[in-house]
Amino acid sequence: MSRTIPKIGFLAAYVAVITFIMFPLVWIVMMSFKGYDDVIAFPPTFLFAPTLENYSSVLLGDTGSMSSGAGEFVRYLGNSMLISGGAVALSLLVGVPAAYALIRNRTKNEDSISFTFLSFRFAPELMVIIPLYGIYQRVRLYDSYLGLILAHQLITVPLVIWIVRTFLADVPVEIEEAAQLDGCGPLRTLMRVVVPVIRPGVASAAILAFIFSWNNLLMGLVLSGQGTQPVTVGILQAIGFDQVRWGWMAAAAVISALPGMVAALYMQRHLVQGLTMGVGK
Amino acid sequence: MTTSHRVAPPAPRVAPQGATPDVKAPQDRSRRSAQRRRQRAYSLMLLPALLLLIGIMIPFAQGVWTSLTDKKTYIANPSFVGLANYADLLMDPRFLSSLGRTLLYVASILAVQLPLATFVAVLLARSSIGSYLGRRVLVLPLLVPPIVAGLMWKTMMQPSSGVLNHLLGLIGLGPLPWLTDTGTALWSVVLIDTWAFLPFSALILLAGLQSLPPEIEEASRVDGAGAWKAFKYVSLPWLAPYLVLVAIFRVADSLKQFDLIWPVTRGGPLDSTRLLHVMGYEEAFRFSSPASAMAIIFILWLLVYGISFLLLKLWRRTINAVG
Repeated sequence: MSRTIPKIGFLAAYVAVITFIMFPLVWIVMMSFKGYDDVIAFPPTFLFAPTLENYSSVLLGDTGSMSSGAGEFVRYLGNSMLISGGAVALSLLVGVPAAYALIRNRTKNEDSISFTFLSFRFAPELMVIIPLYGIYQRVRLYDSYLGLILAHQLITVPLVIWIVRTFLADVPVEIEEAAQLDGCGPLRTLMRVVVPVIRPGVASAAILAFIFSWNNLLMGLVLSGQGTQPVTVGILQAIGFDQVRWGWMAAAAVISALPGMVAALYMQRHLVQGLTMGVGK
Repeated sequence: MTTSHRVAPPAPRVAPQGATPDVKAPQDRSRRSAQRRRQRAYSLMLLPALLLLIGIMIPFAQGVWTSLTDKKTYIANPSFVGLANYADLLMDPRFLSSLGRTLLYVASILAVQLPLATFVAVLLARSSIGSYLGRRVLVLPLLVPPIVAGLMWKTMMQPSSGVLNHLLGLIGLGPLPWLTDTGTALWSVVLIDTWAFLPFSALILLAGLQSLPPEIEEASRVDGAGAWKAFKYVSLPWLAPYLVLVAIFRVADSLKQFDLIWPVTRGGPLDSTRLLHVMGYEEAFRFSSPASAMAIIFILWLLVYGISFLLLKLWRRTINAVG
């Protein structure tokens, strides 16, 4: 008897926490399926006739009066794919060998390089992005995919280096020594022996780096113009001069959150480690 | 520990000390040249990352330099003004109140999220089903773009049509102005931040709790400690380094909070949510003054690094305390 009361208390707290997290997500998904009348209805409607008109307006463009061009948002999606995909690919190319060299050939110098990369995770991005805005305009990288991919390295390379690093620390040195005896240099040892072993680590580094790059707002806000606008900046268009297009925004929000959601299903195990850059494993 | 990561431990010498040098020398030489080749290979592997590092350092340095000039976007040739921008900022009540607001924001985030995250972690750790389901749910806000999180809550916080005021009305509480009032806007952003980042803190603390060897907790139970005492004297000290780690991330991220504020309030109403990172952005792109923008952001940078450095020291100490 005396035990049931705290148990009910815990259950209630548990339900409260889950509700707090889930409610906004459920609400925005519901809103994305609401027609205009249901979106602006007060009191808000919990039961409504679902419609796909918001999604069709986001993905195919408006047919109504507030036309924003056919499928503008699809272009933003493509831009984000290109920028984040390119950024991750470049980061893996640069970061994986670097992480290996930094941990296998480790001296004081190497450690301070590693920590400099780690420190970028904590720096206010504008410290680099605002000067980059000026530089990019001079060298014509402003509003270019290449420019954005390079800028995104500020986010993705530290992630890749530090996550791969924690996985490298667990690789038994013996298997590398065997490869060396066969005459492999460090690069070949890495590619042939080490990378296959740490593939899950490389995969989760890639996924997390992709999400962080995809979710980033400031880079796009400052360094992209009409040609390369990513989804995070595109969504802001829902907030117009005189009114907010709530339904459109909800559908755009749901679509732009999809990559993260898919990744979440997929990489539970390494996620927490990845979020702290592998620090404090 | 450093040495254990080295690939090639020094091979045992074939010849004993003092043996004839002409036997040893060629082997040594080839070993040394192999060593040099490896060294060069490592340097080559590191080179692209180093170039990138330089590519980041250059704009950074230029940013610091800009903060020492009177650069405006509409002036062709800025000139060096020393620390004048910094002196101006320290006299500017808008900057000082933004600085104060930023620190208040960070302090509120810590005060709200650390205890709450500990509570959630303990809650989830109690049962395996609970932690399985909870982890799956908690991960979701971390993967939503912060700007989406912000807009989502903005929708719900609409004073006249939002669902939050509707729900408050159902339990007889008055409508709140949320983001539209200078008195409540910052706290509304703290709430949004808590939704977006409480899971981050809770998941790390949960991982910490689950790394606690079960024997230790059982031993304290056998000794007759109640749940609260076991938590206070066993779990909490064990969690200390994890708590500091969470604090480091939360302090840095909330000091430079931008993504949750820009789409939601743009720093308003009036200045009530204008944190330093937002103010820096506006200074550069609305008021065309990169010089004072860079001064603001460099001060923010110093704050982030100063506080993180102190917390990092604390972290090392807590790790040593746990052993």
